[in-house]
Amino acid sequence: MVRPRFGTFSGGIDLADEKGATIDSPVAPVSRLNRIRVPLAPVDTDAAEPTVRIGQHVSRGERIAEASSASQVNVFAPLAGRVSGFCTVMLPAQPTGWRESPAVELTDLDPPGNIEPLTENFDSLAADDHSLRLRIDEGSLVTFNQSTVALSEWIASAEKADVDTLIANVMENTPFVTADHRLLAERGLEVVRGLAILARAIGATRTILAVDHRRIDDYRSAVAPARLYGINHIALAHKYPIGAEAILIKVLTRRRVRPGADGLQVGVAVTDAATCHATYRWVACGELPTARVVTVAGPKVDKPVNLLVPFGAGVEDILESAEAGAESRFVYGSAMTGRHLVNGVVVSSATNALLAMEPTRPQSPTQCIRCGWCGDNCPARINVASLNDDFELGRTDAARRKNVQACIECGICSYVCPARLPLMQRVKLLKQTIAGRLGRSGAESHLQSHKKVGLRSASSQPTTDNQPNEPE
Amino acid sequence: MNPNNQNIAMVTGVPSLHAPFLHAPETSRSIFVTIFAAACIPLGAGVVFFGWRALFVAVLSVGGCVATESAYYRVTRTPALFGRMHAAVTGILLALTLPVSVPWYVPLAASVFAIIVGKAIFGGVGHFLWQPALVGRLAVTVIFAPPLFSVNLLSLPTWSLLAENRIIMGDAHNVKPESTYRHWSGTPAPAEADAFALRRPRSRLRELTMPTEHPPESIISTLRHMPPVWDLIRGSHGGGIGETCVIAILIAGLYLIYRNYVRALLPVMFILAAAVTVAIAPVRTGAGLAWQWFPIASEGFDVGFVYTAYHLACGELLLAGCLLAGEMTSRPVTAPAQAIFGIMCGAGAILLRLYLPIPIPAYAAVLICNTFTPLLDTTIQPWMFRRR
Repeated sequence: MVRPRFGTFSGGIDLADEKGATIDSPVAPVSRLNRIRVPLAPVDTDAAEPTVRIGQHVSRGERIAEASSASQVNVFAPLAGRVSGFCTVMLPAQPTGWRESPAVELTDLDPPGNIEPLTENFDSLAADDHSLRLRIDEGSLVTFNQSTVALSEWIASAEKADVDTLIANVMENTPFVTADHRLLAERGLEVVRGLAILARAIGATRTILAVDHRRIDDYRSAVAPARLYGINHIALAHKYPIGAEAILIKVLTRRRVRPGADGLQVGVAVTDAATCHATYRWVACGELPTARVVTVAGPKVDKPVNLLVPFGAGVEDILESAEAGAESRFVYGSAMTGRHLVNGVVVSSATNALLAMEPTRPQSPTQCIRCGWCGDNCPARINVASLNDDFELGRTDAARRKNVQACIECGICSYVCPARLPLMQRVKLLKQTIAGRLGRSGAESHLQSHKKVGLRSASSQPTTDNQPNEPE
Repeated sequence: MNPNNQNIAMVTGVPSLHAPFLHAPETSRSIFVTIFAAACIPLGAGVVFFGWRALFVAVLSVGGCVATESAYYRVTRTPALFGRMHAAVTGILLALTLPVSVPWYVPLAASVFAIIVGKAIFGGVGHFLWQPALVGRLAVTVIFAPPLFSVNLLSLPTWSLLAENRIIMGDAHNVKPESTYRHWSGTPAPAEADAFALRRPRSRLRELTMPTEHPPESIISTLRHMPPVWDLIRGSHGGGIGETCVIAILIAGLYLIYRNYVRALLPVMFILAAAVTVAIAPVRTGAGLAWQWFPIASEGFDVGFVYTAYHLACGELLLAGCLLAGEMTSRPVTAPAQAIFGIMCGAGAILLRLYLPIPIPAYAAVLICNTFTPLLDTTIQPWMFRRR
């Protein structure tokens, strides 16, 4: 047997973990909810057609909407309750921002439960690959990572790309978030079995469970049987952002993902613990995915917890139940790559964390002092300082030659910037401009508005009456 | 839904409305505070060897810089950047380069030039081309010298140094030449004076390449007239306030490297390039004054190594390499460009010292190389970028 050789990556930072509050708190059921609004378009395509009437009682797991297109999934009631109306909710859009989704509102709900132990009623080991895939198709499963797609579609694209390696990414190396960690610590065997099912479904010959080396003791009892399923579990160092897909693929398989491409093009599929867990629960035990583990934490949360939240629960209710300070800055997702919460967001399969951060005094960006830390720490090896020059001068053509597409949007450049420049945001804009999504005129208007507003706000006394333009 | 949400957040300068929602604690201001603290180490050594007047010069210089920056921004109504901390850093770096014997108006004039010419007309922090402290130092070197001024204030034949029994509290202006001076430690102060008037070790080394009335017979005969090497390392020889103490400069430089403010590559390349240039650059000795390449080998490697070490330890070379060349805005950003920058500065400093009779060779080299910083930044797109 050839010992596997792992690569490493340059750049990256040692980010403070700050998971202490929730790392040892078991997954708990969420407190009783008054209403949930179940999104009818979990995948960002045409919404599913509702099959329920207002006033109708639905039981848990009952189908409430039927997929109208192949890439959409059926929607099931996460809790037993009464249909009280139809409304609109917000879900995260890719790559940034939010999208609207029609939703079914349920009230008079049963109390939500915890993850129950189930008995297997489908022998996944004995089933052949084709029947496994059919079984997954039936379940209306979606992927639980940030870009939600139907699991069957994900499997089909992985098969088409001739994927030979499947990586379950349980690195979770962003601060505060412990949802996947708790799932693997408590339900490790189910995650491992789900991973084995997924590996067979996409036809991967090599399956890797990548975990954080500091947490290996918590997983030891759970993942010990992984070898029986042909899964290597590999403990990796926690340098941020090793959990990013391109970096993880590079470290584990030494294959380079081309800038702007995803792992499927080099024959590697990446999944996460929640997807594996849901897959196992459906395929082997027949439980439909109607909830997910969400970490509610952050410096402004009084009672940080890991909650099992049914899909469609309003994030405001969840944050309230964890006693998050009303004054805080609420973040959806991880603190490094997440988004600022807007009104009307509900928990969906992409929600791994809800954070309440300090409402720090907005620090205006100041001048770049050319320390070079952004480029030094960039894991994608982009010369961020020079891209920032290009952004400020509006030179998109010069930026095109500097490998902008390689940016993995980890946020390190903005994190380390001593001038507090929103560097990741600027690189993202350049990236979009160059990819043609924004169009040249759009980018230029951004740059113009930046010059007008951004620099004025950079002054320490923004209210002085007579301010000439700052020399540039 | 509004796709422009994020962009609005960006342009209105409310940074925390988009990821990341965490920030490293370090800000531009804290960087300047740390550099200020690091620059205080050589200043402390200067106060020990040159007395309270060194502190006086530093206070004048820092105060002058801060006042000039305040006045400039008051007059032009442009917002002050970073709470004038950068002006204080410029001031203290400027004080390190000045001799202790200058009259009060020299640090003030230098700080005005440093802030106005070196920084403000380029647009302030982050925009200037030349290291502002060195711009100030260059300006006063030119102004307070014979064509423009009656006497040469900054290029002195002898520099004062407090005696061992007069350190810190002695008056560096109360100076007497001491013909029997051999080394600092143990030599009592001259009668009715606090300080010795000494030649800089650098000027003796320069005799090897620049014509003088009594050309040295050999490298080794020059070295015999140098102060003991421990004097150079400790800083008890003539020179600018912060230029002399090798230990203090190295501690300050290493601290900045440890804090990641300066990449170790830059000062290392600076010093390596300077050492290699000293080892190669021709000197002339003996009666015929023939140029001799490779002085490191011409009289045996033992003499050559001591000659190289003396060159590195004396003068303003180390200060320029460890504190001044590594200034963030006026150095290139990427590692390969910084390496080239360091090599250019180090080699240039030695070449200017050996072959041009200017009083501030290392500073001039840094200023010249600063001019090439934008060129280095744009032309060198390093190979290590675009590889993970």
